[in-house]
Amino acid sequence: MTITHEGPSHTAIGDGFRRLPVEEFRLTSEPYYLPIRNEVVLFEHAYRENIPVLLKGPTGSGKTRFVEYMSWRLHDRTPEGSVEEGVPLITVACHEDLTASDLVGRYLIEGSETRWIDGPITRAVRVGAICYLDEIVEARKDTTVLIHPLTDYRRLLPVEKRGELLAAADGFLLVLSYNPGYQSALKDLKHSTRQRFIAIEFDYPSRDQETEIVRVEAGCSDAIAAELAKLGEKVRNLKEHGLAEGVSTRLLVYAGKLIARGISPRSACQTAVVWALTDDVEIQRSIEEVVSSIFPE
Amino acid sequence: MSNAADIVAQHEPELRKFGQTLPEDLQVAATALEGRLSADDLERWAEAGVRLARRSLRSWEAAAEYFRAAPSVAERLSASELLDWGESAAALADRSSLVASAYLRATPGVLRSLPPAQVEPWARLGDRLCRGSWKSIALATSFYQESPELLESLTLHQLGRLVDIIEALAERSYEMATRCFETAAPVLAPLSPADREPFIEFAWVLTRASWADTRIYFERAPALLAPIDPPERAGLLELAAQVTASVGRSGFPLFAAAADALRSIGRGEHPRLLGFAHRLAQTSPMAAMEYLKSAPVVHERLTAEQMARWSDAGLEILVDQGNVEGAEAFFRLESARAERLLTQLSARVELTAVSPILRLYAKALTAQTVAVHPVEDLAEKGIGWVAGQATTEGTAIYLPSAVSTFPEQRDNVQVYKVFATHQTGRIEFGSFGYRHGAPGAHTPLPGLPAAVPDPGPAVEERPAEERTGPLTEMQRLYDGFPDRSLISALFTVVEDTRVDACTAREYVGIRRWLRRVQEQAVAERPDARSMPLRSAYVEALLRASLGRPDGIEWPLRHRGVLRQGLAALRVAEQPGATVQDSASVAAALYRLAASLPNERLGGDGQWVAPDEETLAVAPAMPGGETADGAPQPSADAEAFESPPQPEFRGDFKPELVQLLMRLREGAGEGDGDGRGTPLTAEQLQELLENSTEILISEMAEGDLASTVSLFLTNLERETSLPSGGEGAPVRERAGDDAGEEEEPPEDQPTVPEVEYFQYDEWDFRAGDYRPRWCTVGQRPYEEGEIDFYEQTLVRYHGLVAETRRQFELMRPEAFRKIKRLEDGEEIDLDQATEFFVDKRAGAAPLARFYYRRNKVERDVAVSFLLDMSASTDEEIDKQRKKYDEDDDFDGDPAKYFQWLAQRRSLRAADPPKRIVDLEKESAVLLVEALEAIGDAYGIYGFSGYGRENVEFYVVKDLDEPFGDRVRRRIAKIEPVRSTRMGPAIRHATHKLILHEAKVRILVLVSDGRPQDHGYGRDRTEKDYAVHDTKQALIEARRAGVTPFLITVDKDGHDYLKQMCDDIGYEVVADIEQLPRRLTTLYRVLAGD
Repeated sequence: MTITHEGPSHTAIGDGFRRLPVEEFRLTSEPYYLPIRNEVVLFEHAYRENIPVLLKGPTGSGKTRFVEYMSWRLHDRTPEGSVEEGVPLITVACHEDLTASDLVGRYLIEGSETRWIDGPITRAVRVGAICYLDEIVEARKDTTVLIHPLTDYRRLLPVEKRGELLAAADGFLLVLSYNPGYQSALKDLKHSTRQRFIAIEFDYPSRDQETEIVRVEAGCSDAIAAELAKLGEKVRNLKEHGLAEGVSTRLLVYAGKLIARGISPRSACQTAVVWALTDDVEIQRSIEEVVSSIFPE
Repeated sequence: MSNAADIVAQHEPELRKFGQTLPEDLQVAATALEGRLSADDLERWAEAGVRLARRSLRSWEAAAEYFRAAPSVAERLSASELLDWGESAAALADRSSLVASAYLRATPGVLRSLPPAQVEPWARLGDRLCRGSWKSIALATSFYQESPELLESLTLHQLGRLVDIIEALAERSYEMATRCFETAAPVLAPLSPADREPFIEFAWVLTRASWADTRIYFERAPALLAPIDPPERAGLLELAAQVTASVGRSGFPLFAAAADALRSIGRGEHPRLLGFAHRLAQTSPMAAMEYLKSAPVVHERLTAEQMARWSDAGLEILVDQGNVEGAEAFFRLESARAERLLTQLSARVELTAVSPILRLYAKALTAQTVAVHPVEDLAEKGIGWVAGQATTEGTAIYLPSAVSTFPEQRDNVQVYKVFATHQTGRIEFGSFGYRHGAPGAHTPLPGLPAAVPDPGPAVEERPAEERTGPLTEMQRLYDGFPDRSLISALFTVVEDTRVDACTAREYVGIRRWLRRVQEQAVAERPDARSMPLRSAYVEALLRASLGRPDGIEWPLRHRGVLRQGLAALRVAEQPGATVQDSASVAAALYRLAASLPNERLGGDGQWVAPDEETLAVAPAMPGGETADGAPQPSADAEAFESPPQPEFRGDFKPELVQLLMRLREGAGEGDGDGRGTPLTAEQLQELLENSTEILISEMAEGDLASTVSLFLTNLERETSLPSGGEGAPVRERAGDDAGEEEEPPEDQPTVPEVEYFQYDEWDFRAGDYRPRWCTVGQRPYEEGEIDFYEQTLVRYHGLVAETRRQFELMRPEAFRKIKRLEDGEEIDLDQATEFFVDKRAGAAPLARFYYRRNKVERDVAVSFLLDMSASTDEEIDKQRKKYDEDDDFDGDPAKYFQWLAQRRSLRAADPPKRIVDLEKESAVLLVEALEAIGDAYGIYGFSGYGRENVEFYVVKDLDEPFGDRVRRRIAKIEPVRSTRMGPAIRHATHKLILHEAKVRILVLVSDGRPQDHGYGRDRTEKDYAVHDTKQALIEARRAGVTPFLITVDKDGHDYLKQMCDDIGYEVVADIEQLPRRLTTLYRVLAGD
């Protein structure tokens, strides 16, 4: 990951095109989020107490949406915060090649000079943003260690190459997410990392809640949303029986959107659920049968 | 004095000496012939008779026959022919007077069928059979005796053919020849004239091909032919003859099988089938027979038109592709192509085809693991289910093994789905969750005595606690009603109604198919008019519950009861209704039904369809007093009998299911509240006596006590096994199911769990797979002593250390620097300097001065497949020992004995090494090395006998951690039986594929070529086995597994070359090198 500054670093707004430095990204309107349990309150208190948060849960169960929602909701925490704009949110999608310099920053050679570029985590520390490391277990283990000093009372980020120590600005919070579903011995969180966070467990919402989420997000009818939520529940019963993960709320929302656009429910579910979920023909057929039981032709 | 009298007088004295009656016989005959023959001829005729009598001691008997038969014979024969007749009799009498007598006696009868000119040839036929021995004489005699009857149905030519057969048989066994001959007449006579020739022709071919079958043919053929369409019989016989001529010995069994097969198909189909068989027979008579044999199976699944398409495909293989073996396998249904086509064409859906899908479907709907089994499995359990009806017992659903309701396959799948949805609906919507006394959503407390005004006299006066106590909640409900079968039938209807209503509400998509299946079920309902009134009432409710209340027929007089009943039934259809509501409704319906006299009204009943008002009735529970009349005692009327259940709903046995559930709970944990307490025999006995769901009489013969104990045993077995089949390819489980995660304690001897897998086998002749041909039984291997492992480590400590070291070298460096990148984590100083130097020098520099550390992960899974066939028992150093034995003892016995004693003690201390020992040692070395490197590895052994019995031993599974168990298993590796490599390779491949890894390797270690019973045409043929093995290796490679073969067979090169093609193999020439070679090879294979 390289970030280069070209031209002015202010927000440029064109036709549906917006370029801005990562640390300036804020949510400008309230994202839809339906609290399932007490996670909102928990997060708020954690934020105020500078306790880093670990979000666990299967894919598509709303972890990312929750962080966005919280960043918007916590707008009053920053001096310039307003109802229009939340706390800055920097999201890093972790992958197996993510290195420490990708996060902290690196020197670039420019002309005959070298120039230092801050990485996303450094930027978050400077501006006091919520730094969200998505799918943290995907990152290399040596990478995850560098966040340790940031997560305890010290709230420091050592930048070795520059010989600096950055103290996190007010409002900085580290949030990790990971999916325990496909964890293997290789991809597990180290305990030294794990025990620096409070954890909020995410699971699929109940059928009624999911109906509500699908209805609002997809803009489909209540009846369709209810049937989709029912489908979700049934398909999730197949977890561990051929399916590594149940169908995510996100996929159900996609299906709902397609249906709302006039696609027939069966084909919407075929593309958004059956084919999306698995390549195993037998399981596909089983899910198809569930779909065809729920939705008439 | 007439000529006749002269002649008699002339010969009387002489004849009288031979036999007292001869002169009289002569006189009668001579008198009769006098008018027909000239005096000379008469004289000559008589002379011939006398000469006959003179010939030998008993020839006078022949003469007597001669005289007696003559008058009637003379009616057909001319004078000269008559005299010739006498001559041939005389010739026969030379061989045996008995034969001559039989000949003479039979002639009049024969002449009814034969023209005079053929008498002579006929006589010669019998003559052929006479060989001088008494047995041959008996045979010839019986030939003449049977001739009149035989010739009524046969031409002389055909009779001649028959004699050919008899003659050929007589060379083997006179007994059999005689037996066949005796059965010939009764067998041939009923045949139509057109069939006789082919019948005899087939017998002739058969006699030459397999003489012993001729008798069976004569005995069985009439029965075999009888069901065949008469005009087609000749065709079948001709075909059989043609086949037998080409296949020999198996001709008759094939014919019998084909005829048997045709019997099970209607005669109307025979011309078509045989017509096609004849077409096939032109190229391959065998294929024709196989076609006929398979016809019933195919016919059952396909329509005539579909079958024609199917058989044309086979014909194409035979004629266009010229692949005779392939076509034969096709028609034998031993080819994947045949089966695939059959499935494609057929509208019938087999449970095996949909059960994996239905299993997941049921799992999705119920959130429980639900096994799917064919209904046939139920009866075997002996726990009360007898009929082949769809049902569920709470953890598994039982469905018919095939559905062919509709002409489209697609639709039949939907039918299965409706079946499965209804059965899982019982689980999903809580049909078995009835709790006595709990209120429903729409009704007050169900089943309580309040709902039953008068339970009838003297039945259940005692409070429930006083008795042994009901075992289940359902039992408590049923106990509240005098007529258990009535309440059970009503509860079934109501609960099924509720489940269908829930299904239709919850699963809108299946509604249409539910309706179609319900319609189908309605169409098959029996006529209510012939039923007793209460049964008719249940029937009426059933039709309403199937969505067709308009189809009800009900006596006008009792309309009120029906209306109330329908209203009550609708309560169960309301959203939110629970099983408690069903029980209340059933109780209310019981009261209504009990008010009806259970008598047959028949035609007097004024049976009408319900009126508009009744059809539109709103859901309501019947009020207290509105019933048409007081409850009628059922004692004097007929006992209630439930109308049959619709097929898709099948059996509903809540009482039994609750019992099973209770037993399962009890088996799971001995909980404190007494629910887990064991059943007493009394409780069970009472349940059995009372229950309408368990019909003891149908379960077993014998007294109640033994039935109870049998039932209890079966129940225990049932509940100790959580059912739930997990599915790999086609996989069954035997032994204990691995439902519980925990392993059995080690000290407790456990029956090894065998999992069965089925694999196709490659038939290179047919160029196609034989579907599901081999059954591989996978089982954990037995454990031996741990010493072996340790000893091997000690013995080879040098080698062990060396291999470990080599393998450790293979361990990838955790992070390897990748340089010269345009983008990366760090700047490489050297590159950066170079860059600036280039830039200053004015050269166009390459901006590649970054490096990054790349993590290389080793991701290898390897399976070692060890040949454990009997041949691995062979000693390795046999050859080498030979040289030793050539030691020069200088003819000194002392030296020799010394040497012998030395050798013996050596052998005792260190027994000669066998191939299998080397395999074991290699395994030890490999384990040590692989543990060092950390690759996933499995060690398996294989052996077996025959295709149904391929044994696959797990020494160490791929994901099994290494430990003492594995060490002990390695020690136990021993030669077992044969080598059927194909299925073992397929199974090992299958296991590897399930294991996630980037590199998958399969190493097969064998001592020789594949060989097994039935692995090829005979034991010496190796082509089949080699081809199948090759195919299995190719499959493995296609699946992304790298196969490698190692053999210690020195003659291995020739067939290995054939088997491996471009697949890696190695013949380890010096066998002791095997451990070392294996480890080196592994490095090459798995290295990057």
